[in-house]
Amino acid sequence: MKRVIEGSHSVAEAVRLARVQVISAYPITPQTHIVEILSEYCANGTMNARFLRVESEHSALAALIGAQSCGVRTFTATASQGLALMHELLHWTSGARLPIVMAEVNRALAPGWNIWTDQTDSLAQRDTGWIQMYCEDGQEVLDSMLQAYRLAERVYLPVMVVLDAFYLSHTYESVDVPTEAEVDRFLPQYQPRFQVDTKNPCAFGQFVPPGAYMKMRYDIAGAMEESLVCLDKIQEEFYGIFQRRYGPVEAIYCDDAEIILVTSGTVTSTCRLVLQSLRAKGEKVGILKMKLFRPFPVAMVREAVSHAKKIAVIDRNFSFGASGIFAQEVRAALCNFPGHPPVFGYIAGIGGLDVTVELLEEIYWKTKNTAFPERESIWMGI
Amino acid sequence: MNEAENTIPLLIPCSSMSTESNKTGSWRFLKPLYDEKTSPCSTACPAGEDIARIEMLTAQGMFKEAWETIIRENPFPGVCGRICPHPCEQLCNRREFDEAIAIHTVERFLAETASRYDLKPTLPRLTAKKQKIAVVGAGPAGIATAYFLVQLGYSCDVFEAMPEPGGILRWGIPLYRLPLPTLRNEIAQIESQGVYIRTGQQIDKKFLQDARNHYNAVFIGCGHPRTVEMGIPGEGISAVENGLEFLKRIRRGESISPSGLSAVIGGGNTAIDVARSIVRLGGKALILYRRRRCDMPAFEEKVQMALEEGVELRELVAPVKITEEDGHCILTLQEMKISGEDSGGRAHVLPDERKTREFRVQHVFKATGAEPAGNWLNPAEKPGTSLALTNALLVYPDKGPALVFGGDLTNETKSVVHAVASGKQAAMALDVLFQDGIEAIVPKIQACLVGEGPSLSMEVYMGGDRRSRNSHIVNYEEINTDHFQFQPRITQPRLLREERLRSFEEIDLKISTNLAIREADRCFNCGICNQCDNCYMFCPDIAVIREKDRQDRRINYDYCKGCGLCVVECPRNAMTLKEEEL
Repeated sequence: MKRVIEGSHSVAEAVRLARVQVISAYPITPQTHIVEILSEYCANGTMNARFLRVESEHSALAALIGAQSCGVRTFTATASQGLALMHELLHWTSGARLPIVMAEVNRALAPGWNIWTDQTDSLAQRDTGWIQMYCEDGQEVLDSMLQAYRLAERVYLPVMVVLDAFYLSHTYESVDVPTEAEVDRFLPQYQPRFQVDTKNPCAFGQFVPPGAYMKMRYDIAGAMEESLVCLDKIQEEFYGIFQRRYGPVEAIYCDDAEIILVTSGTVTSTCRLVLQSLRAKGEKVGILKMKLFRPFPVAMVREAVSHAKKIAVIDRNFSFGASGIFAQEVRAALCNFPGHPPVFGYIAGIGGLDVTVELLEEIYWKTKNTAFPERESIWMGI
Repeated sequence: MNEAENTIPLLIPCSSMSTESNKTGSWRFLKPLYDEKTSPCSTACPAGEDIARIEMLTAQGMFKEAWETIIRENPFPGVCGRICPHPCEQLCNRREFDEAIAIHTVERFLAETASRYDLKPTLPRLTAKKQKIAVVGAGPAGIATAYFLVQLGYSCDVFEAMPEPGGILRWGIPLYRLPLPTLRNEIAQIESQGVYIRTGQQIDKKFLQDARNHYNAVFIGCGHPRTVEMGIPGEGISAVENGLEFLKRIRRGESISPSGLSAVIGGGNTAIDVARSIVRLGGKALILYRRRRCDMPAFEEKVQMALEEGVELRELVAPVKITEEDGHCILTLQEMKISGEDSGGRAHVLPDERKTREFRVQHVFKATGAEPAGNWLNPAEKPGTSLALTNALLVYPDKGPALVFGGDLTNETKSVVHAVASGKQAAMALDVLFQDGIEAIVPKIQACLVGEGPSLSMEVYMGGDRRSRNSHIVNYEEINTDHFQFQPRITQPRLLREERLRSFEEIDLKISTNLAIREADRCFNCGICNQCDNCYMFCPDIAVIREKDRQDRRINYDYCKGCGLCVVECPRNAMTLKEEEL
C-alpha cells in the first residue's frame, strides 16, 4: 500500500516487516525518528520484539552481538559520533560473522557541531567488514533494508543501509509499504548456521593462532566477494515479488555518454534532473549511481564507464590527505584497466551544504572544458 | 537459490570444551572475603543487641527468629521498645542518608508479635552448673541477671520486697508509657525460662547475711527507690511529697486527685512523669528546674510531650524555702544564673544575687534525684577484694560467696537497658569467677565486646555465630548508597493530645505488620549479609556460589580473579578485599 512517510519511517516499517526480534539503540539526531517509532511498536505490541535501552552506541551494538549470537534477527540505527563510538564492535561483528543490519543516517562529524548530511562517518568505516548500501529515496531505503537482511543472513556479514540526513531521513515521500505476507515470502525466518544454545554449550570468539586467523579473514574476503553474486540473485527474487530493481550500481544513459557523473545518495536524484536538461541540449552525459560501496562493484564500474571519455565523481565526503572517497575507489577500480578515462574528483555538499542543479551543471561544464584533471579534488562552492 | 546448501565460507572460532579447566583464580592478587562487621547501632545499644540482623530478619518476615535474636541479648524487648531512650538510633548510619531506622518501633512490634502468638523461644543454654545464685531485687537489673545466669546453666532465686516483680517498671513508670500487661507478659516469659521470683520478701541486712550462707553468690540490684533530700527549710511539711512515692501510689491503684497547681522540683524523667501524671489526674503541673531545658537529664521527646499536654516549665529557679499558709504552700524561689558549662555542655549555675520570689502552689513534689534505700546497699569498692566493671561491681571476700552490685547502684545512666547491661555483665563475671577464677574475668568479658564496647554480647560469650563478626564498626562512607532509595521513617501513631489528657492509656499505638516490615526493610543492615545477591549478580566469573538449601554465599577461589566488584557492589560492607599472601 502506498503511504506518504519519512525516510526514517521507511527504515522502521522495513524493520517491522522483517519481524526483527531484538532492537538496541541509543538516540542521536538524525537517526532518532527510526528507533522512536520502533520503540512504540515494541511497547504497543505491533512488533513482538525486545527493545533494549542502553547507555551508549558501543553498548547498543555490543548488546546486539550478544542477541544475534543467540540466533535472532536484530537491528540498530545510528549516525556520526554514534557510529564512530561503535568502531571497535563493527570489526567484531564482521569477524564473528554476525548478520546484523544497521541503518546509518549520514551526518557530519564534530567539531564544529553539525547535524547535516555528510558521508564521511560511514565511509570511514569501509575497512570494518560491513557491507554498505547507499540509498537515493524512501522506497529504496525500505527495499534495501529487506534485501539487507536476506543478504546478511546469506553471507554471514553485517550490512549497513546508509541514508542522507534530512534530505532523506526527514523527507516525506510516497512509499509502497508491502504487506507482511509479501515480505514473509521474500524474507523467511532467520535460520542461523551457528548460535549459542544452552542445550549444547559452546563458546565463540576465542584466541586463535595466526594461521587460523588469516583463514578467518580470507573467508570474510570470500564472503564479501560472494555477496555480489548473492545480491544479484536476491534482487532478482525481490523483483519477482515487488517489481522493483536497483542493482549494485545503476548506469543511467551510460552506453553513449561521453562524460559520466558518479553519484551516491540523494545527490543522484538532483543529478537526474541535470541529466534531462543537458541531454535536451544535446550533451552526451550519463550517471553512474553507486548503491553498493562494500563490496565495491569493480567490474560493473569498469563496464559502465568503458565507453566514456571522462568521469566526474561527486563526493560528499573527504579523506584528508587523499581525496573524495568514491573518487579513490573509482580510480582504484580503473587503474588496472588500460586506457581508462581520466577521473575528475569534485567535493560538494560537505556538512549538509546544498548540492544544487546549478552546482552539478557547473561540475559537468568544468569537466567538459578541462582536458585532464589538474588536481585530485576540486572543492565546489568554497 | 537453495539457502540450505549455503556454501559461503564461514570459519569462526568455536569451542564446546568447558572453560572450567582454565582456573582463572591463579591470576588473583586480591582476595574478596565474606567478612561480617559490626553495625554502629549495636555498639550504641547498652545491651549490645544485634540490630542489623534483627532488622534483616524482620524485613524477611522471620519474626520469631528476630525476636529470639533480641532476647538472646535483652529479655525486655516489649519494655525497651517503649521506654528505652534508644541511643541506637542516634548512631544509625541511615541518619546521614535520610532518617534513622525506628529501631525501637520494630523492637516493640516484635515483642507484641511474640506475645500475640504466644511464641516460645528456642534459646541455647549451657550445661547445668552446681552453683546457686541469689538475686536481691526483681527490678530490670535483677531479673536480667537471673535470666542470663539461667542461660549459662545456673539456678537462680530472685527475692523481691514488693508484692509484684518489676521494680521501677512496675511501681514507677506510668502506665501511659508502659502498660501493665506488657510488663507482666515479659516477666512471665522470663520466668518460663526457669527464673524463680519470690515476692513479699523482707530485704534487710539479716536477709542478706542468710542469703550469703545459702548461696554461692549474691547479686544486689535494689535500685534507687528513695528521693534525695533537698536540704531546705520546710521540706518536711505534709504538702511536700516525694515524686517517686507519688508515682508508686498511682501504680498501687490509690485514688489521688492533686487539685490546683502543683510544683514539681527537678529535671529528670521522674519529674516529667510526675508532672504528666498530675495533668492526667486533673491537676496543673509546673516544673521548676535550676538549670535550662537543654540541661535536663529527662529525655527531650518526653519533655516536649509534657509541654504539649499542658505542663509548664520554669527554668533557672531553685527552691530555697517552703512554708505552709492556709492550706497552700509558699515556695521561695532563688533565681539562678549561668556561670559556664561543663565538658558535656551542661550549664553550671549560681544564685543570681538576691533575686528571689515567692510562689503559691497547692502541692510540691520532689524529684531531685534518687538514692538507695540504705547505706548497706551502696557498693564498697576496696582494692584487692573488689573488681569494678563498667556496669557492675564484684566484691569477693576471702571467705564466703561473692557479691555483685548492679543496676542503678552502679550504673551512671539509670535506664532499663543499662540495667540489662549490668545484669549481663554480672552474669558473665560470676560465670568466669566460678569456672576460671577472678583473674580471667576482665579478658573473658573483653572478648565479648560489641565493636569497641562497652556493650557486651551474651551470644558471643556463649559461642554463638556472632563470634565471627569483625569488630570493625561500619561507617556511612562504607555503605554503597547507590543501592538504596530515599524513604521516610515511619511516623509513630499516637493518641491525640485530648485523649492523652483524659486517661493513662498508652500514648504510642501499635503498628501493623506491613509497616514494621517496611521500616525494617529501610535498614542498611550495616556489615551483615542479607542475601541481597549483589555479589552473585555482579561477579563476572560466576565465582559466587549460592547454596540452594543454605542462606550463605561462598566464593569459588578456583575462578575468582579478585576483581573486587563484589566488594564494591556489596551495599553494606559485609565483604572485604584483602591482599593475597604470596
